[in-house]
Amino acid sequence: MLHFGPPSAQRLMETQDVVQKPARSEPAKSTLPQPGRPVPSRAYPGALIVVEGTDGSGKSTQLYLLKRWLEIGGYRLHFTEWNSSPLVKSATRRGKQRRLLTPTTFSLLHAADFADRCERQIMPLLQGDYLVLADRYIYTAFARDTARGCSPRWLRNLYRFAPIPDITFYFRAPLDVAVNRILSGRPKLKYYEAGMDLGMSYDRAESFRLFQARILEEYDKMVETDNFVVLDGTMPVNKLQKQMRDIVASKIDLKRFAPRAEAAE
Amino acid sequence: MPEPEKEKAATSAPPVEAPTPPAPAPPKAVSAPEEAGSQYFFGEPLVGFDPSEITGSLIVIEGMDGSGRSTQIALLQEWLESEGFAVQTSGLRRSNLVGRDIDELLAKNAVTRLTLALMYATDFFDQIEHRILPALRSGTVVLADRYIFTLIARGVVRGINRDYMSGLYAMALRPHLTFWLNVRPETAFAREFRKAQAISYWEAGRDMSLSHDLYWSFIRYQTMIKREFEVMAKRFNFIELDGEASVPAVNKLLRQRIAEQLGIRATKYSPSAALSHLWR
Repeated sequence: MLHFGPPSAQRLMETQDVVQKPARSEPAKSTLPQPGRPVPSRAYPGALIVVEGTDGSGKSTQLYLLKRWLEIGGYRLHFTEWNSSPLVKSATRRGKQRRLLTPTTFSLLHAADFADRCERQIMPLLQGDYLVLADRYIYTAFARDTARGCSPRWLRNLYRFAPIPDITFYFRAPLDVAVNRILSGRPKLKYYEAGMDLGMSYDRAESFRLFQARILEEYDKMVETDNFVVLDGTMPVNKLQKQMRDIVASKIDLKRFAPRAEAAE
Repeated sequence: MPEPEKEKAATSAPPVEAPTPPAPAPPKAVSAPEEAGSQYFFGEPLVGFDPSEITGSLIVIEGMDGSGRSTQIALLQEWLESEGFAVQTSGLRRSNLVGRDIDELLAKNAVTRLTLALMYATDFFDQIEHRILPALRSGTVVLADRYIFTLIARGVVRGINRDYMSGLYAMALRPHLTFWLNVRPETAFAREFRKAQAISYWEAGRDMSLSHDLYWSFIRYQTMIKREFEVMAKRFNFIELDGEASVPAVNKLLRQRIAEQLGIRATKYSPSAALSHLWR
């Protein structure tokens, strides 16, 4: 069992605006919490670091290296990946195999998956004073599902229960670089991965490129609105990692997550 | 320090309570999406569908378990078919995509309220896109055994923000008619118990820890749901019917309104031998 820190439930309520106390008949409009309001550091004691970027932007490698750095230092951390909740895995697999998914149901299934991880892992760990590292986060859904034609306003509402990250690293790589990294390393692109459901091209590689171009465009739009820390995905791995570590160390009080004297784990 | 501009962009709200968007979008009244907005949806269009192709009618029957929904739907289907209308029915948890997964989640009771709400939303839209819309495009009458209203109410009584829930269903098709069979929870309990000699875990809201007493848990839970329905009844133009009345009496009222909607002249009907046991 994890040892959760002192109660901070009251502060938590500020971000968890989606899940309120049991509703009375009609809450006054002015008292409704502001959805998606950026109040990360005081909303929960833990810290949330997120990496985002197109496929092939190098984000997973960089997050892995960051994780190793922190693990070796003995920090209290938890690593979570997009699309990994066992709860909805069978539904997602079935939907993909039989190509049952539409932009809307694709988006909703991923949201269900994320909600499960959010309610059962991410939020409790942030409350319990953990450093949480997320490989892809809600911005993946915003970019990908908007590229598929979903309404951005609907999407923002859909994920409004998600805690706002303390740092969102956006690994930006030019389209050609990212696409070539994927195409050279992966024998066959999957149907939805290549955006074949959008009917842009019968050629998977070409469809993938067009889909990624749309996603890249959506990511770029969020740099300002969602306070992305933009990193150059074409830099050498070790130099990029140094930058990333420096930023983490400057923005997050890592001492908080250092091994406790009576470390129970 | 969050700049006001950034904050605005990051706080896109659901359509219902949406703050007026910044220029250049034409400013709308706050309640606009509800009344004057899309004729077909509750706020947002559904990706990839042209609603002008709809030639059928969507008729929703809402009400708690034991309100007589399924009885009425069986009777209405027979009546409409005898009048020459093609009928398609839909209901919760019937999608090919996640219907069975939800059954499993419910059986295991290892799911949080938000995940469950989103799984129900997936199930709902899968049916809208693969069953209801194709039927409506081919001129079929769709009889929906429950709709988004039950799903919204269930989420809200479990503490999920009301705007969040209605925002989730912003692309749901607007029904042509929404009937609410309103019954007292006590009546519903008696009917359900008579039918199955048991009350299900979820229908009694046992996950909400309202009471260890099954009866009181059911009553309290269904009262909360009913209160949500009262809030929605005005907003979404429910046609409220007294579900405590006899089956033939309720059916007559349903037929009258539906006949009006579909342009059927005669509303005379008595069930075939196969359904006569329902007629009491």
